[in-house]
Amino acid sequence: MELSFSSKDLEFRDEVRDFLANEYPKHVKEKTENGEPLTREDIVDWHKSLSAKGWMGFNWPVEYGGTGWTPAQIYIFQNELGLAGCPPLIPFGVSMVGPVIYTFGNQEQKDRFLPDILNFDTWWCQGYSEPGSGSDLASLKTKAELVHEDGKDYYVINGSKTWTTLAQNADWIFCLVRTDSSGKKQEGISFLLIDMKSPGIEVKPIITIDGDHEVNSVFFTDVKVPAENLIGEEGKGWTYAKFLLAHERFGIAGVGASKRQLERLKEISKDLGDDDLIAKVSQLEIDIMALEFTELRLLSALEGGGNPGAESSILKIKGTEIQQRLTELYVEAAGEFAIPYGGPDGYGSNVKPNGPDYTNDALSKYLNMRKVTIYGGSNEIQKNIISKFVLGV
Amino acid sequence: MNLNFSDEQNLLREQIQKFCNSDYDFYDREDFINTEAGFDPEKWKLFAEQGWLAMPFSSESGGFDFGPIELSILFEEFGKFLVLEPYLSNVVLSGYILDNSSFDKKNDFIAKLISGEEQISLAYMEQNRNYDFKNITCLLEGTDSLSLNGTKNLVLNGSNADHYLVTTNHNDVTKIVLVSKDTSGLSINNFKTVDDRRISQLNFENVEINADQIVAIGDEAEQLIKDAINYGTLCVSAEAVGCMESCYLKTVEYTKSREQFGQPISNFQVLQHKMVDMFIEAELCKSLLYKSMIDMHEKNDSKYRSVSALKSQVGLSGKKVGEDAVQLHGGMGVSEEMSIGHYLKRFISIDSQFGNSHFHLKKFNNS
Repeated sequence: MELSFSSKDLEFRDEVRDFLANEYPKHVKEKTENGEPLTREDIVDWHKSLSAKGWMGFNWPVEYGGTGWTPAQIYIFQNELGLAGCPPLIPFGVSMVGPVIYTFGNQEQKDRFLPDILNFDTWWCQGYSEPGSGSDLASLKTKAELVHEDGKDYYVINGSKTWTTLAQNADWIFCLVRTDSSGKKQEGISFLLIDMKSPGIEVKPIITIDGDHEVNSVFFTDVKVPAENLIGEEGKGWTYAKFLLAHERFGIAGVGASKRQLERLKEISKDLGDDDLIAKVSQLEIDIMALEFTELRLLSALEGGGNPGAESSILKIKGTEIQQRLTELYVEAAGEFAIPYGGPDGYGSNVKPNGPDYTNDALSKYLNMRKVTIYGGSNEIQKNIISKFVLGV
Repeated sequence: MNLNFSDEQNLLREQIQKFCNSDYDFYDREDFINTEAGFDPEKWKLFAEQGWLAMPFSSESGGFDFGPIELSILFEEFGKFLVLEPYLSNVVLSGYILDNSSFDKKNDFIAKLISGEEQISLAYMEQNRNYDFKNITCLLEGTDSLSLNGTKNLVLNGSNADHYLVTTNHNDVTKIVLVSKDTSGLSINNFKTVDDRRISQLNFENVEINADQIVAIGDEAEQLIKDAINYGTLCVSAEAVGCMESCYLKTVEYTKSREQFGQPISNFQVLQHKMVDMFIEAELCKSLLYKSMIDMHEKNDSKYRSVSALKSQVGLSGKKVGEDAVQLHGGMGVSEEMSIGHYLKRFISIDSQFGNSHFHLKKFNNS
């Protein structure tokens, strides 16, 4: 057993740090550090800086244009991004639909979609949840009907998707749609790629309790999608969706970002001299340490050729609980200065309230982070997974 | 970075598991609890024959040079079966101090520890209540002929020990002295603990101490005690991790077999999620254990701090897991004849030992 990374891995870490110090776009860095909202262009600039470095496909094999990094390198990369306070990577292309396309797509689809993902020329969004299908995703109803017109095959889509993150920015959406309602609910689902400019698609904002416009409803009315946009086989979409979820879980713990926020919180609580808050922050530091080493244990198993199973659900559950706990303690530290509320349109004044800087976005972060225990398979669903697959109940 | 056990370490775990599975029946264990020793001397002999009592000693002292990782494996497995035998007091605490001291007669004593012929307990606790081993009130007085006066409390396995390593204050210099149980002026009161172990109170009244009984002096003595306690803290934490694993596994098994409302109670989601929470607590503590044992193995400066994180968390998680295990066993959980309540008692005992959760949270924060 050995705690430190190999000298090769440490060299790699320095390379990532070097990149973050020199090539991470300055305007994005400044805005992020000041807690200012990022525009679509800012987010694209950030991703394109990674593309330029050849690192966008950080978790892809070399043959599809990825880095071919080892699990340890992927871990280090994600951890360093978090420690440096970088905005989270938009996962829908590189971590979600990309791996589905290179694993289950045909050659034409690979050639057509993968380069744009790696260059961040296409912004993808995810069409999974529906108003009536959340945790019970397989009950989804958005219908895709195969028609033949002008010598070509099309799917005609009718229905709606919801909680679609940053659909307002997206060029394409990958969707789970129902192509058959006769058999078991999982068996009639297909995986379709849809151009967001298709006639009949309407995106409506959903404003969340932090006042932000991050998620949307997406409505489909007689949207014609060329049949060549079907991934794999019709009716096999559920298999691809499950593959995607398994791919998504690693790195979800967000340890690097949480450690960065913890360091600041430690300073704040010591400056305030509040022993009660200091004790709570110490407990959180232990929680983060435990999470970090749980992730490293799984990483070690992965490096040794093992396959981390449902245990990785722990990372989702504890990672998100910690992310929320951090925001709760920031609000506690802010005291009464938590309530002047910024939001996307400012404070209703030209100046900021004169509380300490960390108080400005404490409450908006708290409200925003309520989502993390809900999305990506709610924490209750994760517990069902552990119960079934680990405990065998 | 490698958090996988070596083949040798996996073999050791298998060997201990095999012993516990075949020789550590809970009801046999109950019989030994009620004997004077409070454990099975035959098993202690077996430990010696297997070489387990020699594990952490240096090869110069006749040991195997095993370290914190192997001891964590041993204690984790012992925890699963609530093993009673006094490994902690003899091998870990006394063994560490002797093996790492410059005491010239140490090899004789270590040889008898390894063979299981004799037992030695560390007497460092006093009535200072704050887990502070430095403000020692047991006074060693005199210049040529020394005399020891004072009281030591909560001496683990004290009733079975042949000798005691006693921390003393000699003109404000800490000295560890080795005292035999039948020394004149030493009187011993023996007690049982909540988790069926044995502890003693030692009263020293004008006990004569010779220069050749002094094991360590001053900074060396304090460093030895500090490190022995840190080692012991790691071991009981590993034991707690093993206890937690047993608790959730036994609870899963029980809820699958217990039927109410015409079905196994494991069908109820509220119980499932509670068991998942127990599993998660155990896994997170295991991760902190890995960090601590490797920090100790690599002799990193962070070793005290990571052990404090571990012990603080184990204190909280152990009680939570133990309490939930009792709750999910229903009335059976509070009956003495079921093992599950004994795990809860062990968790409480472990939390109290070497600094409780609150103490280690503060220590973690201040270091």
